[in-house]
This record gives sequence, C-alpha cells and structure tokens, in this order.
Amino acid sequence: MVSVMNCLAAIVLGCPILTLLILGFTGLVQRPLPERLVDRLTKFHVAMGLVATLGILGIMIGTNHPMEVLDLGNFVEIGQEHFHFHLEFIFDRLSVPMVLMTFVLVGVIGSFANVYLQGDAGYYRFFVCFSIFLVGLLFAFLAGTIETLFLGWELVGLSSALLIAYFHERKSPVENGLRVWGIYRVADAAFLMAALMMHHWTDQGEFLRMVNDQPWPQGASHLDPWASLWVGLLLLIAAAGKSGLIPFSGWLPRAMEGPTPSSAVFYGALSIHLGAYLLLRLAPIFADSLVIRVLMFALGALTAIYAAMTSRVQTDIKSALAFSSVCQVGIIVMEIALGFWYLALVHIIGHAFLRSLQLLRAPTLLRDYRTLENAIGGRLANGQPAWISQMANHRQIQWYRFALERGYMDSMIDQALLEPFRKLFKAFERMENDWLRWLDGPSWPRRKDP
Amino acid sequence: MEDHPGPDTYQDIEQKKLNTTTVAFSPEQVHHAIEHAIHYLPSQGPIAVFVHHNTLHAFEHLPFELAVIEGWKKYGAEPYLSEDRYRQEFLRGRIAQQDIEQVLTMDLAHRADEPIVLGTTRYELRLAMLMHPIRNGPDEELRWFIAETNALRAFRDDVSPSLESKIIRSVQQWMEQNSQAVPASATTAPTALSGAEQWKSWTLEWLHRVCITGASVVGEVLNDAIPVRRHRDIVLGSHGIDCDVRVNEQLIRFLGSATDQGFAQWGLPDRDRPLFKLFQELYGIGSVFQPNWLKELSDLIAQDRAADRSSIESIIHSLKSLGLREYGLDDFIDSTLLSLPGWTGMIWQLETNAEWTPRPFRSGSLEDYLAIRLLLDRASLRSALGQIAELESQPSVQQGSLSMERLSQDLQFHQRRNVRQTVDQRAFILFQVAQLLGWSPNELESLSTPQWQSLMDEISACGTMERRRLLHLAYERHYRIEALDAIASQPPPPPPPPPPPPPPPPPLPGPGPASTNSESQPSESQRPISFQVITCIDDREESFRRVLEEIDPSIETFGAAGFFSVPMYFRSSSDAHYIPLCPVVIKPKHFVDEIGQLSKQELQKRQAEARRVLGHASHRLHMGSRSLAAGTLTSLLGSLASLPMVARVLAPRLTSRIRELVAQVVKPNQATLLLIERIWPETKADAGPAESVAPEAKLNQGFSLEEMANMVQRLLGDLGLHRFARLVYIFGHGSSSLNNPHESAYNCGACGGGRGGPNARAFAMMANDYRVRKILEARGLVIPESTWFVGGYHNTCTDSVEFFDIDRLAPSCHMDFLRAQAVIDQARERNASERCRRFTSASLGLKPTEALRHVEARGEDLAQARPEYNHATNAVCFVGRRLRTRGLFMDRRSFLTSYDPTTDGPGSEILTRILQAVIPVCAGISLEYYFSTVDNAIYGCGSKLPHNITSLLGVMEGAASDLRTGLSQQMVEIHEPMRILFVIESTPKAVLEILARNPVLDRFVSNRWVQLATLAPDSNRIEVYQDGGFVDYQPTSISIRVFTDSYACYHHQRDHLSFARLGVQ
Repeated sequence: MVSVMNCLAAIVLGCPILTLLILGFTGLVQRPLPERLVDRLTKFHVAMGLVATLGILGIMIGTNHPMEVLDLGNFVEIGQEHFHFHLEFIFDRLSVPMVLMTFVLVGVIGSFANVYLQGDAGYYRFFVCFSIFLVGLLFAFLAGTIETLFLGWELVGLSSALLIAYFHERKSPVENGLRVWGIYRVADAAFLMAALMMHHWTDQGEFLRMVNDQPWPQGASHLDPWASLWVGLLLLIAAAGKSGLIPFSGWLPRAMEGPTPSSAVFYGALSIHLGAYLLLRLAPIFADSLVIRVLMFALGALTAIYAAMTSRVQTDIKSALAFSSVCQVGIIVMEIALGFWYLALVHIIGHAFLRSLQLLRAPTLLRDYRTLENAIGGRLANGQPAWISQMANHRQIQWYRFALERGYMDSMIDQALLEPFRKLFKAFERMENDWLRWLDGPSWPRRKDP
Repeated sequence: MEDHPGPDTYQDIEQKKLNTTTVAFSPEQVHHAIEHAIHYLPSQGPIAVFVHHNTLHAFEHLPFELAVIEGWKKYGAEPYLSEDRYRQEFLRGRIAQQDIEQVLTMDLAHRADEPIVLGTTRYELRLAMLMHPIRNGPDEELRWFIAETNALRAFRDDVSPSLESKIIRSVQQWMEQNSQAVPASATTAPTALSGAEQWKSWTLEWLHRVCITGASVVGEVLNDAIPVRRHRDIVLGSHGIDCDVRVNEQLIRFLGSATDQGFAQWGLPDRDRPLFKLFQELYGIGSVFQPNWLKELSDLIAQDRAADRSSIESIIHSLKSLGLREYGLDDFIDSTLLSLPGWTGMIWQLETNAEWTPRPFRSGSLEDYLAIRLLLDRASLRSALGQIAELESQPSVQQGSLSMERLSQDLQFHQRRNVRQTVDQRAFILFQVAQLLGWSPNELESLSTPQWQSLMDEISACGTMERRRLLHLAYERHYRIEALDAIASQPPPPPPPPPPPPPPPPPLPGPGPASTNSESQPSESQRPISFQVITCIDDREESFRRVLEEIDPSIETFGAAGFFSVPMYFRSSSDAHYIPLCPVVIKPKHFVDEIGQLSKQELQKRQAEARRVLGHASHRLHMGSRSLAAGTLTSLLGSLASLPMVARVLAPRLTSRIRELVAQVVKPNQATLLLIERIWPETKADAGPAESVAPEAKLNQGFSLEEMANMVQRLLGDLGLHRFARLVYIFGHGSSSLNNPHESAYNCGACGGGRGGPNARAFAMMANDYRVRKILEARGLVIPESTWFVGGYHNTCTDSVEFFDIDRLAPSCHMDFLRAQAVIDQARERNASERCRRFTSASLGLKPTEALRHVEARGEDLAQARPEYNHATNAVCFVGRRLRTRGLFMDRRSFLTSYDPTTDGPGSEILTRILQAVIPVCAGISLEYYFSTVDNAIYGCGSKLPHNITSLLGVMEGAASDLRTGLSQQMVEIHEPMRILFVIESTPKAVLEILARNPVLDRFVSNRWVQLATLAPDSNRIEVYQDGGFVDYQPTSISIRVFTDSYACYHHQRDHLSFARLGVQ
C-alpha cells in the first residue's frame, strides 16, 4: 500500500514539475511548443495530478490513515552549522483538500486561458508562469517542513508578480507588479526570519516533529511561550503580506492588471489564501499562545471590516471583487484564531471557487445587470445599508473618503516603509558623490541637470 | 496644418511677454477654449450602446491626410500603419511595385520629372526612398550603428552590384584625374593596387564625410516630434517626475464614483450636487495619513472656498497661477482635458447625450471637471517642485531652477519651438539615399550650397510620415484595383426594357400605373423566384446572401439598412426599458411594445412574477457575496460554484443547452405579438391598456396605417423590389456573446447598436396587413395577394435564424415555408463554415455541420475573446442592383446596398436618401476600424484580456486606467486598414449632383475620408472620383480567379482572399 501511495504522491508532484520543465526548457532554447501542444500538455498533467490526488484520498479514507508522508531527504545539509534543507511532503486532512481544490481550479482556469489567450503574444509566457505557480502552490500546500513551504511560497510569489506584469508593454502593470513584489518581499523576509528562529529554537523545520508526529489538527507544540510569540508574530506579518490583510490590503486590487483568468485564479482565489493556509498549517503550534490568537483575531476582524467598507465604494467590478476577497480572508483568519479550523478550511475552499467563478464572469457584468433589470422590471437598487444613510452628512463624507482612498493604506506604507529607505539611499548617494569629489579634487564635474 | 512660428529664443519670449501682459482670462475666453477642446474628446457614450463612428470626427472638415497628422499631433497616435508593416505587405505581394509607382506618379503629377541634383528627378528620388527602408534614429543610435556595424565598409544590401561598382569606378576615375587633390581622410587613400574591399570602404567613408559636410551647410529641418504643451511635460522631461500619475490615479477613483450608474453599493454622498462642490467637500478634508500633495490640494481647495470661487473663477485663478498667457491657451486646455480623454469624454457624453442613463450629469460638469483637474495639477506640480528642491544635492544652486515662474516661461518657449533634425540624422539619411541612387562622393562634393539646400529640402519633404502616406495609398490602390477589376469583369447588365420603366409613383394616393412589373420583358419577369430575402447591408450578410443564391439560384436577395425604415422605441415582453432601434441620427417618435397573446397573458403574468422574484433573489446574492456577513454564508457554500464553473468552461455548448432547458420555466413567452398599430386615438390616451404601456409611450404608441404604408413603400422603393415571390423573408440581425463588454458593438449599426429582429418583424407585419396593402395599391404599388412577408432574426455570432409570427402563415404557404427553411438551414451551415476559416481555433478541415456547432459554442463560451469578427476586413460598399455583383466572391468584405437605378427618378431621390444613410454609417464603421487598427493603443481600446468594467459605463485596462474607447485588439487583428470604397451604380453626373446638394456627404467624399467610384447602369464602365470630378477607370487585367462555389474558393485558406467568380463549372 505504501508503495502505491508513494507512486501517487510522486505523480501529484511530478506531473506539474514535468510540465514546468518541458515548457521552461523549450522556451529557454527558443523553440516554444505550439499552442495546441501546450494546451494538451497542461491539461494532461493537471488531470493526472487530480486523479492521483483522488487516489490518495481514496486510500486514506479506505485505510483510515489520516496522514501520509513523502520524504525526499535533505536537499542541503551543512553539518557544522546544524542546518539542513529538508524536502518532505505531507498528505493529510488539511493538504489533500487544498490540493484537490488547486487541481480543479487550476485545471479549469488553464483550459479557460487556453481559449481566452489564444493567439496572444504572451500565451507561452502565461503558461510558463502558470506552471511555476502550480508547482509553487503544490509545494506550499504539501510542505512538511518550513523550508519546503518557503520554497513553494517563493515560487508562487515570483509567478504572481510576473503575471501581474503580463502586459509589460504598458507602464502600470509593471509598476503594480513591482509593488506587489515589494510587499511579497516584506512578507518573505518575515517568513524567513521566522523559519530561522524556529530552526534556532527547535533545531528543525519539520512541522511533524514540532507537534510530536501527530496528524493535523491534533498535537501541540513544545515551543516555549516567548519563542512561540516571536515566531508567531513574524508569521502573522508574513501571512498579512501574502493574504492582503491590514495594512497590506492595497496590493490585491493592483494585482488585477493581468488577463482576467490569471486575476481570477491567482489573486482572487489561490494566492490570497496562502497566508491563511500558513496560519492554518501552523495553528496547532500556536494553539496555546493566547496573545497570538488575540492578535490574529484582531487583525482578521479589522481587515474584514475595512475591506467590507472599501469594497462597497468600488465602482469597477474587479476591485470590488478584490476587496470582497480580502474581507472573506479576514473572516477566515478570525475563524482560525477562534480555533474553528475545519470551518476555515471549508471557508477557504468555498470562497476560492465562488470568487473564481465571479471573476471569470466579470466581463459579463453589463449583461447580467440588464438581465436582472429586465427580470425585476426596473432599475436595480444598489443596496446601500441603512447604517450608512443614518450617519450625519459630514461623517458620511469622511468615511466615504476614507473608503475611497482605501484607508490610506498605500500612502501609509509609502511614508512609513518606502520613504525612510529612499531617504537613506539618497543620503548614501550624496555621500558617495561628496567622497568621489573629494578624491578627484576640485575638477570633478558636477552632475548637471538636463 | 498648424502654423509653426520660427525658432524663438528666450529674448523673443521676453519681448512677447511685454506685449501680452494680461494674464487674467475672462470667462468667455475660458468658455471658448473649452468649446474648442470638446471637439477633440472621444464621443463614445456608455458602452452598453456602442455606435461605430469616425474616431477623428473632429477633423472631418480637413482632408484625410492632414487630419491624421493633426490627430497624431493632438493625441500622439499613429496616422498610418508603420513603415515596416507596409514593407512587409510589399514583400508578401499585398502591395506591388506598380502600385507604388502609380501612386507616386499621380501624387507628384507635373512635378515628377523636375531634376533635383546630379540628374536625378524628384520621382526617382522618392521612389528610391519608398522602395527601400531608410534607417534613422537618435544620434546615439546612428553613431553606434556606424561604429559597430559595417555601414561604412559595405554598401547597403539592397544596392545592386552594378550601382556599387559604378560609384567606385567614378571615385577611381576622379582620383586618377585629381591625384593631388585627394580629400583629407583618416585612412590613407587606396592606390590602384589596393583591393576591392579597401576601395569600397574608402569610398563609403568619403561619401559619409561628404554627406555630413552637406548636411551641415543647410538650414534646419523639421523633425517629426510632438511639441511640449503642459508644465507636466517639462517636469517629466527634465526630472523624470510624471505629475500626472498621481493626479490620474485620484481622478479615476473620483470620476468612477461620480459617474457610477449604480454599481457601487455605497454611492457618493449627495451625488446630485455639482461636480465641483462634490469634489471640494470630499477633498477639502485633511487626514494625517494622506500623502503630501493631497495636503497641498486641501490647501488649494481651502483658498478657493475662502474666496468663494465658482468653478469658472477657480479655472481662471488656476490659469493665472500657472502663468498661462493667451498664446497657447487653447492648446493647454485641450491637452489638459486630453490627459484622461476617455473619462473626460464620458463626462461630456453624460452631460449632453445620455438622458437615457440612470444618472446623467447636469450641464456645466465638464467645466467643473476642468477646475478640478487644474487644482489637482497645481497641487501635484507644487509637491513635485518641493520634491525636486529636496532631492537636489545643492539646494542653494538649484533653487529657483524650477519655480512655477520658470516653468511657465519654459512652457511658452516650448510651445513655440519646433524640434529639429540633427546634422548626424540628416547626414545618415543622405548617405543612404546616395547609395541607393548611385551618387558618388566626388559628384556630391561639387554641389553648391543652394543645391545642397534643395536636395535636403527634397529629402525631408519625403520624411517618414510622407513615405507612410504614399505607401498607404499604394496599399489602398492595390485593393481598389482588384475590386474594380472584379466588378468590371461581371457580365454586363441586361439592356433596359424598350419602354423605360415608369418613375416611382408619387406618394400621394391616386391612380398611378397599374403595376410596375413589365410584361415587355418576359424572360426576366417570368423567371420563377423560389423566395426573396431582405437582409441588412452589413458585410457579414454578404456571405449569407451569396450562399443562399448558391444553394438555389432562383433565390433573390436584397440589402437595406437593417432598421428597415422602421424607426421605433421598442420594449420586448421581458424588458424593463424601451430601447431605440434605428440609426443614432434619427430620434424615433413611436413606441412599440411586445405583448403576450391574449390566450397566453395569464401565463405571461405568472412568468413575469417568477422572473421578478428570481431576479430580486439573484441580485441580493450578487450583492451579498461581496459583503461581510452574507458573503461568509455564500462562500461557505461556495464549493457549489465549482459545478457551473467547470461545466461552463469545459463544455460551454452543452451547459448552455441545459441552462436553456431549466430556464424554460421562466423564459419569456414566445407567443407574443407586436403592438405596432395605434389602436386608440390620441385624445383618449389615458384609456389605453395601462399596464403594458409606459406613460411616456402612451402618446405615440404604435403607427397609424398611413405611416405604415409610407414605411413599406419607402423600403420597397429603396430596394427596387417590384416583383414579389410567394414568400419574402426579411432578416434583422444582431449578435450575442458572453463575457463581452463590447457586445452591443457587434449588433446592427443601423439599429443604433441594437438587435434588428423587432424591426424586421414589424415591417413584415405591416407589409402583410391588408389595409396597408390597400393604401399601397391606391398609390400604385401592388403586392400580390399570394405574397407573404416573414420577419426573422439572424444571429451573426451563432448563425442561428429565428422566424417571427409564422403561425399566421396561410396553410397554402406551409410547404413553401418548409422548403425555404431547409435552404436557409443549409445556408447557415455554409455561412458558418466560411466564417470558421478565419478562426484559428477552428481547424481548417471543418465540415459545414461541424462549423455550425463550432460557432454556436463560440457564442456561449465564457472564455471566448473573439465570438465573431464583426465588421473586421470591411473594405467596400456596393450600392446597386444585386445582379451587378451576383456570383462574385467578396470575402465578407463588402456592404451590399440594393438600389435600382432604372426605377429612380431624374432627381435621384431614392439614391439620395440611400446615400444619406449609407455613406455616414459605412464610413463611420470603416474609419473606426481604420483608426483602431493603425493605433490600437490610443485610438482603440487595447487588448480585451485585461478589461475591467467600471461604473457600468465602460472598460478600463487592468486595475485603474483611463476609460478606453474604440475597438479592441481582438476585434481588429485581421483588419486591413483602408478607407472604404463606395461603388455606386449610377452616373457620375447624378452622384455629383447629390454631393452638391448634401454638404455632409460631400465632406466625406471631397476630403477623401472615403473612396468613391461609379458603375454605369447600362454598361460595365467604371469611373473613379478624383478631386471633385470623375475619371474613367481602365481595368488592368481581366483575369479573375474562377471557382465552382464559395467553398472551393475559401477551402483551407485563412488569409484574406481576393475576388473570384463563382458558379462556373
């Protein structure tokens, strides 16, 4: 049974990697496959992965085995530094549903994109990023060690940023892609620090060892409270960055620059849940830390309220859907904080499907509105909640402005994070100039403005 | 063209400043400037009603070639395809060398043979520059090119060896004769013993040196560049800070909220107040977190409020503080408003032209917007100036370098300045031309300064824009020749019947001629007709008509503008609002409702109720899924959404079938009828059936019999239809597709972007009405009793055809109907098959039945970005009898308007009214396609893939952008941008008279926005319009391709196909 299991697990991971290798390699040597072949390749591999995952699920249910581990050994091992990069994948009650959802969604969007992007200049690029994304997602969902999770997390981040900047001949997709990439870096930095701390305190990055080899969601950590608090805080920042929680929410609507299917699956449905998934995966470890849970709850609640408000003032369909997604992720984080882990899992999966469908249908908005108007026989009410109309006028305007400016989150990040950096580097530049001028003597030509 | 004043120095500017010291503008001046700017805004309204129109309508008073250059200056958009693209077309044979030569000869006329220098004529010089790519670029690029490639070591690849040796030989001879006067050079001069390579490079180096010398002795030459107009351009140029970015970002959000037609759940508070006040309220409040420049903005707003300025006063104040002067004001306002053209245009549309939307704007909104924009610009500029001062390493030195005062001076300087070509650029062009024409350096060296000057002038007169213009003319010529040749190769028309046909009967009732069918021509009039089909003139119906005629040669087809002379506001039994179904230039006066049949009204009421309940529920779901609490609930159950999603993406056609089955329960009742008749007198308007008719419709509900008879008579007269088959089909058309914000652009243009089915249905009902026929009979137009009109609707995307009111068909016609239906079904399949050859996702070997299934799936596929190709590839509009084009394969590129010149009166009344409708509509379509193709990023709306519907008004690209107008890349990707060629079956005299009487039409024709030719009604003689008159056209070669049928012609072909004759075994 174990060998069958291992085979299936290998297919789940192997197929997408193979797709990536084939597409990536043929692209690298400037011999891109024809569109039809790309389509078949992606479909076949996604279908294989889906079937294999279903097989694993079947075996797990049949044998009543809540968890399977695929250990690929150490990728890197540095003995004297006590560091090892351990590749280990876990198939359990948390990862298998997520992987199933991933295959279904990615498969559907893949065949959607095949038609939608047909003949587009970036077709091939899209599918390369698409397979990087799929591999990254599978690594992240199935990861058994924090290093593996980080690897997947990075791949997802990279392909997301590239897909946002898909239309790189225009300026704003590239700028927004860069911005999202920047925020991902902040999240990554926090994640990396957390991973190092974990290694430092527990000498390992395996989730299972941390919870005494208990299958999710059982088990509890043996981290000491302080370590758990620090690691938890850093992971919370990482999750906030990746899932668009406060104060990083501004990136999600900006991610809508790519073609509709990539916005749908990547930011609306999958990427956005990665932070929540991280919290869910590590939830048993922090189950005992009340501080972390309170913070997590507060973050989720604030995000949900903020996003609910902001999404109401959006006038374009994609931004509105983006903020609604953020709102739901906020609620999911609250659920995790409260310990409703299974509920959160169901919520993630349901939300991902719902949002994908809504985003894919987004360009049909006008027709949908007309159909609804015709059915109702008049103009649609926009459903402004009563509490808004009851506010005093100047309060209403204030809050409206707040929501319209998206809570000033982006300008806050600019001022609090970017501006100090920019000032610092400007100061360095000035120092360097002065230094060079001094070295060169008085004849050094001053930089002239055009 | 704009007048370019000479180069100005700062001293000149100072001088002029003294002359125009008045800096406070009067409101009239500002109003005038705004009026001026309005013309340049895109005039596309809310996207739900998409009407094709000339993108450059503001420039229609200018000749086409000037207008596109003006457009380029105004919008920065390309006037033609790129030079490279034309050259590709040349290489693949789409442009022939002969086309270029002919166009050049025509264009230069008597100036062609004037010598320029060294015995080269102007014609030769230009031809060389047209036939070969001329490389040019910034100085750095050219320097790199010369240093790093063997530009100075080998001749251009396209210089023939004979020419090459001619130049070298000339140099060698010269050297022999003048051995002491060898020009100074870096390399030693080659001797007679040197190798060919050395001679070659030495010659080229010398040539290049001579060119540089020549280029530097002449005066400056204009470059093709766009002048600086706003402060922002200067700051961007000097410091790389784009002040518009943040302004636009704010404005897009604000305008999205202000123009929102009901999408946002939380609308802008007090939205009904003037825009300027709304803005002041919203942005007057400060906040700790807001970025610096918005703090500047709230300061500016506070100043305005303190001074109690209205929007116009605020504009005047802003202009003053920006240091604007009278010169360049128009330009400044134009470009300020054009920095977000889509949104600005939408404000103007909502203000003036959109009373049918849920939330139109009050008048004066555009003025308010300008005031807002200027406040934002000022805030952004001030903040940028602060930023620059801060960034400069030596503030004391740099301060003041970019003050507002300095900026405004710079601006004035730039507004008067022209960008010039550098010496290197001029020299390099000259260097290439010299090689192409075989000029040797020793010959060039002998040129005098005036000769250099005239050579340089000649070369710069044939700059890249001029070359593109000429290449474009050649590109158009090639197709025009093909089209005219094809028409000329048609069999000549039958000789007119001995007694000339009677003029159209007067509209007044009276004893006219008994009948128009002429018994004198038995062969013609007794030929049996299986049935007749009237469709829209649309180019997409060309193939449909052609295959119908192919299947059964005894079918006759006609084309008329697809509203079939029935202008009306229409509301179907399941619709909430009336929609206008007629060309946009007509305001309908009549309202027509579709109601359930008497026996089915109870059912209909129940269904309407069910639809209403379901509609409310799904609307709540729609909204709820985006909110907090309800959103949680819906997303917990969200996994259910996976089912429809997977099904719709993987099996779109099957899913739509299932959906249709389910929807049967609430689907609007099919058993309906149109209330086309005015059934109660106007005085008793209140007594009408109140429930089914909206109040505004009560007065003009339906048409009177007299009106109906007029409409029927008019259409039949236009068509020249006077011999009737037993069944006459009349098909309106439209298109349905999913995930397509531009859906209405695919509908019938003659129905104002609506679906033409109801018009066809109404027309058939009128023409079948015995009372109408009686009135017509009294006027001399007899419709035989046995003739029955059947209205229908052709969906050009799925190629489905729907028939209306067939239950009212007399039983004696049933067999005819079934036979015709079988033919039409076959035609649908063949039509689909012909369309599929264009779709890369449909394999080339599809059988007709498979093709039909393919196009059906396309219309239902959420992922399909190209449900159909709409008007793409349109190129010709033929106005005349079908027999003149029948049997000609026109590749779905031709509008076909029926017109019978033999029945038109001496004043060409019929032709006049046809052309009044057809020229503006077809020219609008053709020109919109032209501009969206030549510059898809500026005139068009870019790729469809990232489109994002906003405010229910239009689309943005991605997260936030300007509102995009025009056509998408996916709509135009197969289009060949050409001005449409009208071929009118009439005499030049008649056409010229019509043009003289109709200035609107004349503007299109004499300014060359369209091409025009006439085809003689009695022979195959073609005459082409040229500069106010017609010149005879001589067909080039009558060797048209010949095929048995359309299928054989297009089978296994993806690309554009040239004309072909069909039906020959």
